Amino acid sequence: MKPVIDIRNLTKHYGDLIAVNDISISINKGEIFAFLGPNGAGKTTTVEICEGIRKPTSGSVHIFGREFSGRSKSIRERIGVLPQEYRSFERLTVKETLKYYASFYRRNRDIDEIIKLMDLDDKRDELYKNLSGGLKQRVGVAMALVNDPDLVFLDEPTTGLDPRARRGVWKAISALRSEGKTIFLTTHYMEEAEYLADRVAIIHNGRIVAEGSTHDLILQNGDGYTVKLHGCDKKHMVSLGWKAKVAKNNTVTLHVENPNDITRILSKVVKEGMIFESMEVRRANLEEVFLNLTGETLEGEDAE
Amino acid sequence: MRPVAIITDFMANVKMWYRSKGTVFWAIAFPVLLMLLFGAIFQGQDDVTITLYVQDMDDTDMSEMFISSLEERLNIETIPSHVETDKYIADNNIRAALVIPEGFEDTVHMAYQGSNDTVSLTLSLDPTRESVNGMIRGVVAGTLQGWNNEITGAENILVYSEESLTTREFKFIDFFLPGVIGLTVMTSSIYGTIFRNTKYKKWGILRKLSTTPFSRWEYLLSKMLFMTFISFVSTFVIIIVGVVVWDISVIINAYLFVIVTSAAFAFSGMGMLISRFVKEEETADSAGGAVTFPQMFLAGTFFPLEMMPAYLGQIARVLPLYYVNEGLRDAMIYGNNTSAMNNTAVIFAIAAVLFVLGAAMTTWTE
Ligand SMILES: Nc1ncnc2c1ncn2[C@@H]1O[C@H](COP(=O)(O)OP(=O)(O)OP(=O)(O)O)[C@@H](O)[C@H]1O
Ligand SMILES: [Mg+2]
Repeated sequence: MKPVIDIRNLTKHYGDLIAVNDISISINKGEIFAFLGPNGAGKTTTVEICEGIRKPTSGSVHIFGREFSGRSKSIRERIGVLPQEYRSFERLTVKETLKYYASFYRRNRDIDEIIKLMDLDDKRDELYKNLSGGLKQRVGVAMALVNDPDLVFLDEPTTGLDPRARRGVWKAISALRSEGKTIFLTTHYMEEAEYLADRVAIIHNGRIVAEGSTHDLILQNGDGYTVKLHGCDKKHMVSLGWKAKVAKNNTVTLHVENPNDITRILSKVVKEGMIFESMEVRRANLEEVFLNLTGETLEGEDAE
Repeated sequence: MRPVAIITDFMANVKMWYRSKGTVFWAIAFPVLLMLLFGAIFQGQDDVTITLYVQDMDDTDMSEMFISSLEERLNIETIPSHVETDKYIADNNIRAALVIPEGFEDTVHMAYQGSNDTVSLTLSLDPTRESVNGMIRGVVAGTLQGWNNEITGAENILVYSEESLTTREFKFIDFFLPGVIGLTVMTSSIYGTIFRNTKYKKWGILRKLSTTPFSRWEYLLSKMLFMTFISFVSTFVIIIVGVVVWDISVIINAYLFVIVTSAAFAFSGMGMLISRFVKEEETADSAGGAVTFPQMFLAGTFFPLEMMPAYLGQIARVLPLYYVNEGLRDAMIYGNNTSAMNNTAVIFAIAAVLFVLGAAMTTWTE
């Protein structure tokens, strides 16, 4: 089967800056693909080249099997886009906004159906400017669906939202999975990638450093457990013999491969009489994968 | 009271103020601009070239001498003595004319011999140009006074009577109404376009639109439909107030429609050109001001160009608003169709150029 979107050796320079460095990805039909990376990694640049908004320095993008540079109307008919930090017309209601965008396309999906899918029923006649951040983003996703697209681009759909609003947007995006839409998503929240994506590519300084299902990535790059001790002295911990990976706000993060190590840490802590406020133990997730691959956290701090 | 807090707050305001380009424009550049503009407009009225057409029916040494003494203060053009005065004035769109009647020299000679006969010159003025008329009147009356003193010492042998150039009675408000239309269409088109473009760019709306099948040209066309619609709404409101409140009689014809539509296109095009280079909303505000204010004062919106030094009059002739104002006045108030047609043609051409340039420069993507 041909991929829905096929990115080949994509490179983008802004003057001396190489924002995207030789990226190749293909996304198959029905897949939710997440581009995970910190600020400035090159996510928007890549996605906007795919959408035809920016021009690549080299490389190409094929959508539905045809090279796309933004010109082809028939391809534009079949994609849906939510740009990063999008804001819509302030004095149009939710329904009017969706109708506005729907008017551009030959193919339309029933607007009431989209409103229901995005759980916007009681806000349909509300002016956009009166909506909360989370609702605005849901309108943004809804707006990308008016033409019943085969491929949807969502550039950081939940950045800046509080956790509850974020969950609301996630639910809305999950609803698309059951419809078999192909989705290209960018995010710098690893929970978002874990929750939504079938496949994740980790992008760092314009390069893809790892790609695969969340499960595979964790298996390959970060298997094991994470132990976090909040509110303790780092020096103590280092003296315990385990390598402390990150220390900030008096939080010590340890990565262990073996479940037995967790009990060993605990007993040592008790024996030394170390004081801490709380302790957290969990299986490794994409955050550790990212840390292991780049030596940085997703929030952008250097590891020690 | 915490003086430190007050001083900190004050300093924060000063910092934010000078860092924002918009306020710097309105607080500094704008008053400087006004001072320079008005200074230039009103500086040494001697430099102002006011034109008076003179028809010398006497055609004698004496009348020629009189004309040369007028020439010290006014720019004199000649109406041939054989033509019919009224028709010539109308055909040539003349707004100030003086007729020296036959017998001018004879009357002066007779006055030297003690006669009390008078001779009356006819001064025809366009009532919509009251500020200019005042100056012409002053020069003509002053010159006549000088001659009278010379000839008789006291008696007024040389007098003048004044005529209104048009059959209809015009007032300043008649002059002003088309100017208000021009001004409104200009500001709403320029500012509307700049603000919309900068906002939509910042909000991602333009990027979003570029990914839909809606084309840039379709978008521009619908925006122009809208700007034209708004321009006509303003135009009709202005006309209605003018007619109902100020009793202005306005001629509504095809020129009015073509000029207002062209103006909407021209000024929207100008707005597009500006927003191509201006990124922030605040800067957009300043850029809009920098383009609209000089036009507002130099293009004859509030007072006729003749009141200004000649070089400013030359500048006015490169401003689109000048042709809009003149064209609207000719079409709506004076009913001067020849001149209306010329001005309409000019503004139409300007609109075509500015709009095509602006549209070509408007990009949605990088
Ligand atoms: N138009 C531009 N001109 C110059 N540099 C740019 C431009 N757009 C992006 N960059 C730079 O390219 C790099 C990648 O930017 P990009 O916006 O693609 O990152 P991102 O992964 O989307 O980041 P974020 O999470 O902040 O949205 C950054 O260093 C950014 O500063
Ligand atoms: Mg981005």
